[in-house]
Amino acid sequence: MSNAAPTGPARSLRTPEQKLAIFNRVLSAALILFFASAPLILPLVTNNFWIGITAEIMMWSLFAASVNLLFGYTGLLSFGQALYFGAGMYGVAIGVAQIGLGFWPAFGFGIFCSIFMALVTGSLAVRLTWHYFAIITVVFSLIFYFLALTMSSITGGDDGLAFQLPPMFQFGDTEISLTNSTLQYYFIFIVVGLCFFLKWRLLASPFGRALVAIRENDVRAELVGINVYMMRLASFVISGFFAGVAGALFAFFGRYASTSYMFYHVSGEAVVWAIVGGAGTLFGPVLGTGVLIIIREELSLYWDHYLLLVGVIIILTVIFAPKGLTGLINSTVLKIVAPKHNPDTEAQSNLADDKARQPAE
Amino acid sequence: MSANTNNNVPVLETQHLVKRFGGLTATNDVNFTLASNGRLHAIIGPNGAGKTTFFNLISGRLKPTSGKILFKGEDITGYSTHRIARLGISRTLQIKSVFDALSVEDNIWIAAQAKMAGWHPLRSARHFPDTQRRVDKVIEEVGLQEIAKREAGTLSYGDVALLEMGIALASDPELLLLDEPICGMSPKETQRTVEKIVELSKLVNVILIEHDMEVVFDVADDITVMAQGGILAQGSPSEIASNHEVREAYLGFDEDDDGELAIMPNEQDIGQPSKGAHSNG
Amino acid sequence: MDLVFALAINGLIWGLIIALIALGLSIIFGLLDIINLAHGDFFMVGTVLAWFIVQSTDNFWLAFILVPIIGLLLGAVIQKLVIVPIKGAAALSIVATFGLSIILQETVRATFGPAPKRLLPPVEGTIPLFGIDYELYRLVAAVISIICLAAFFLFLHKAKLGTWMRAVRHDPETALALGIPVQRIYTITFAIGFGMAALGGVVAAPITTVDFRAGVDILPFCFIAVIIGGLGNLQGTAAAAVLLAFMEGVITAFADPVVARIASLLFMSAVLLVRPQGIFAGATS
Repeated sequence: MSNAAPTGPARSLRTPEQKLAIFNRVLSAALILFFASAPLILPLVTNNFWIGITAEIMMWSLFAASVNLLFGYTGLLSFGQALYFGAGMYGVAIGVAQIGLGFWPAFGFGIFCSIFMALVTGSLAVRLTWHYFAIITVVFSLIFYFLALTMSSITGGDDGLAFQLPPMFQFGDTEISLTNSTLQYYFIFIVVGLCFFLKWRLLASPFGRALVAIRENDVRAELVGINVYMMRLASFVISGFFAGVAGALFAFFGRYASTSYMFYHVSGEAVVWAIVGGAGTLFGPVLGTGVLIIIREELSLYWDHYLLLVGVIIILTVIFAPKGLTGLINSTVLKIVAPKHNPDTEAQSNLADDKARQPAE
Repeated sequence: MSANTNNNVPVLETQHLVKRFGGLTATNDVNFTLASNGRLHAIIGPNGAGKTTFFNLISGRLKPTSGKILFKGEDITGYSTHRIARLGISRTLQIKSVFDALSVEDNIWIAAQAKMAGWHPLRSARHFPDTQRRVDKVIEEVGLQEIAKREAGTLSYGDVALLEMGIALASDPELLLLDEPICGMSPKETQRTVEKIVELSKLVNVILIEHDMEVVFDVADDITVMAQGGILAQGSPSEIASNHEVREAYLGFDEDDDGELAIMPNEQDIGQPSKGAHSNG
Repeated sequence: MDLVFALAINGLIWGLIIALIALGLSIIFGLLDIINLAHGDFFMVGTVLAWFIVQSTDNFWLAFILVPIIGLLLGAVIQKLVIVPIKGAAALSIVATFGLSIILQETVRATFGPAPKRLLPPVEGTIPLFGIDYELYRLVAAVISIICLAAFFLFLHKAKLGTWMRAVRHDPETALALGIPVQRIYTITFAIGFGMAALGGVVAAPITTVDFRAGVDILPFCFIAVIIGGLGNLQGTAAAAVLLAFMEGVITAFADPVVARIASLLFMSAVLLVRPQGIFAGATS
């Protein structure tokens, strides 16, 4: 009965979809290639300033990816990721400046802080969903933001906590440290790359599929035997880990930490990057982060109120391209490789199908 | 599966099961036993009789106020839903519920993987041949081969119902709880689904909640009638059809019918299928 | 002791104003299912509009009349332009209001300027109150807030529109079937939400500073009141706003104001986790 008709178009669709997959793979490869070679290419076309910006884009992309893992794949919108970013950041800064840790222990300490923080707050937060989850994540992040503000002897408050960059390696008299900007760039590239690789592996695994199942239907997921609470918590902690790594990298990059990075506006920015880029796709957040940071850096030179444009972009995206830039690109590519394919006509044929069934009912 | 289980131990047993919501008693001292005998057991009763609450208690979505639930002799009272599911009790919901954005195949894959291998975070989901074999088998069993690659959200109502059954079957359960599987279906879809249920009941122990009396009296081997949270009667279709209490209870509730899709049987409905039941027996 | 008393009274009055703003947030949340991250900025827009009107006309009471009306209009326009197209996608609506918040703040920064400014109270002078000289306008603000709160609840329970709003909140489909223009009610609700925040803005403008960032500080507090009072429980929200501001005022006398805010936030998380229906549940409107 109703099966026969839709199978036809679905089958003819397969080729364009494969083409789209190939296109996406090429795009991803191009993106990786660009980030891998940016310190070599960028000086040829523009000034070195943009190498730093590219490094920043990578770190913030990882931060946006942490929102994306929760929202795009697990179905939980966190507005409090800045807390874990801040934990990673302060872990490094306090580790170096107050405890006197070396480079790697401080890095590890920062990551540990963010994971610990995510575990403690997450075990409570993932008991809630939807609105309540969004609100409690903001609340938790605000609590720690205010705590960090009051403990300014440790955190430096709004002024921040600056520190001297410890060397990464020491061979006798030679010290290798991130003061070498190329080394710093590639250090960030490798760490962010490893995190994205990890995320990609996770999403392709049974674990990743279970997360998507929970996003789609948590009641059904529980009924087929998924421990929804534990999976959500796992996703939350991994997401906190990504945010923490981004924060730790950012601390090394800026040689300081500040409570202003723990405010909920920073969390909001990550949400915006993820959604403008396309939540639920691996590289969507990279795209969103890249575009919005480039707009910020370019436009802010000429226009003090460039944020107006950012606000407008956010609203336009949400209204006209809820699947983000990635969704826009994908549907454009699909239109090009399969000109006959038209979602409207497909919807109509489905409708006709339903109508055809009606007399029987 | 059911063949391996000791026939002396019932698949499911509830002892003095009670569930109260505030002042309302939704399940009232239910003592229910389902022997592992490959028979199709139907639960009928008017709206508000506590049938779905009973399912929710068995599947762990609700915690009983008092009483015990035993599954193959194991006390599962208070177990979490996912744990009960992995022990081997699957169920469908009254309002059809699948993973919309996943393909038919992946819907079933999730359920199969939950039981068979778990959630390895670093292995590719494609490298679980046992799960894949199970998925292929289930898809064939429920007859969804043609549309295995389609997104579940685009399926017709009848196909979603089949998919839901496929999901329930994928974990190779020993007890399948079906909550009004044919509610809202066209006659054609109903026929197809009922045939499937009868087939399944030969492989798995099935408890079926259903309002369509014609179907129930046609396919069920045993019937439990619930009313006001308790068990009113139990027996073969012919015994139930001739039970006075049941007829009275149903007729009494007839006027309270709140206009849901459910078919409230009148005297005629109960009378007719009982003939069928006789001819079956 | 005088200081404690003054801070407590300050807190109480501030709580009454917050109650106005938080009620706006609560009805938007309750009816449209939107977490309005721009709500604090609606308040801020109210203070800025008041400042502009007082600057050009030197008449605070004109601002008091005009600002809520402008707020209503802005709210209706924003709902039509931004909220209607994304209706149904709760997560996206949070993001949209975040974008809206950026736009409002940036617009004000561009027109009003980045520096905070003060607005002189329309009623000057102090009155002796239990041994301290208390700013008269603050008491006027309290009276105005109480009258507005009373009017709001009266409107909700007596006016036809208010009854319709409650019906839509209860069950939009049935409301539609009964012939209630549900879509228009959504627009009106959002407009009233903005109007209430703007009203809070005018009343508060002479007490606080007029600053394009003012909304950022006030938003968390409004959410705390809405959550602790119970989502959709409007009386609860109003009561929670007053109680919390009073408590924060008292705590401020003994400790850092930030500590008071942390205490409120901790209380709010406990409520969210243990009693998400709010602490006054049972008395829902």
